[in-house]
Amino acid sequence: MSAAAVPARAAPPPQEAPAYRIPSLTYRILVAAFRLILSFVLFVGLPVALLAYVHSRGLAIPISIAAVTTWGVVLLSLSAARYVLKPTVAYGPLSILVSAVFFAYLYYLVTLSPYRFVFPGGGASVAAGYSMFLEILMIVPVVEIIAGILTTIEDFASPGERLPFDYPA
Amino acid sequence: MAGLVVPTHRQPPLIYRMARALRWTGIFVLVLLVVYAGTVAYSAYEAAHATIESRSLTGVLVANGMIEVSGSFTLSNPGIYPIGGLELFVYVANSSDVPLGTVTLGPDTVMGGSTGLFPITVKVPIAASSAAESLLFVDQYIHVKAWANVTYAYLFPLSVMIAESRSWGAPFEGFRATLGSPSYQNGTVTTPVTLTWTNHASFVEAGGISFEIQSSGLADCGGGSFSINVGPGQLYNQTTDVTLNTGCNPMGGELLTSFTFEGSTTSFPPEPIP
Repeated sequence: MSAAAVPARAAPPPQEAPAYRIPSLTYRILVAAFRLILSFVLFVGLPVALLAYVHSRGLAIPISIAAVTTWGVVLLSLSAARYVLKPTVAYGPLSILVSAVFFAYLYYLVTLSPYRFVFPGGGASVAAGYSMFLEILMIVPVVEIIAGILTTIEDFASPGERLPFDYPA
Repeated sequence: MAGLVVPTHRQPPLIYRMARALRWTGIFVLVLLVVYAGTVAYSAYEAAHATIESRSLTGVLVANGMIEVSGSFTLSNPGIYPIGGLELFVYVANSSDVPLGTVTLGPDTVMGGSTGLFPITVKVPIAASSAAESLLFVDQYIHVKAWANVTYAYLFPLSVMIAESRSWGAPFEGFRATLGSPSYQNGTVTTPVTLTWTNHASFVEAGGISFEIQSSGLADCGGGSFSINVGPGQLYNQTTDVTLNTGCNPMGGELLTSFTFEGSTTSFPPEPIP
């Protein structure tokens, strides 16, 4: 039996299975909105309540409630937008933007350190420095900015490459 | 929306893995710092309830004509983090804000769940018109200002300023040495000398007070002494007769007194004789 006599069986064509599944835009918007509400309670609601409590006890507050609310709303809105746009090439640049805004927020807080307040009655005053803690916290946005840059490079070099790993089927 | 191709079990590209590792690192650091900040806030809240407490000041006369004002600061730290690098600077002034002295303490550390006791002692020389003079004779409120620099929970430097007034009981509150009307008998002149005051200090005044009557021309007209044992809160009011030296007229002069206590002598400011 020669090899030529027996025709080789052709290999079956590769199965085309879905390699990733990106949630629909509506779904992503809903999840982002839900996350936004939770994050708002944690990162805006609670700090504002704490500041209001301190203020109600006659103590000066280190940052205005309006500033906390504004910075919080901007940061959380950008985070929500980043989540919604995660499957697109805008994800990397938005990650950089969110982290840059977070970094700017921390820097703004550093400029407000130390927190000085006088106890009611004037018998004691305290200046509490927290800039060292915030400077360490700045590691977080810096690291995330680098991550955002890497994602941007990847998206422009190989569009869609990360999608199977971000949204496995 | 679904994409095709590529089996997903293959390893992600290096750049993707690096970005993912950095994101996880960021989240890990963030969570770590948020938990740390939460425990610090709770611990600081606990510590703020205790903070720095002070005790009343007490005074005692010591050798070399000094008065010693002493007290202490108690710093409770019921939190879990240490209060480190504690440096305390205390400024003490009398009721007229005339400085009596300063004390510097530290650096020291008060560990979490413990209490630090920091004694403050100021020695002030007693001299006429000195800042300490009023401490002997006038009940008052002593002004104490304390500045403390600490580092809480390793990362949070704090500067605390406490200003308070502490009551002070003078050991010779209302001290008066007075000369009575002289009497003449057999060519000698005798005059009564009366000492009166209230001991508002916390110690027993056991010793002696000697006095000398001086004329306006600084001549010694005579003198005497009182043996005293005056407890806290007691009124002292005693009179003794003094025979004046011949030809010495005390009017317009001064009554000089000094207190001898535990081997040291403290001169009181002169009392003018009208």
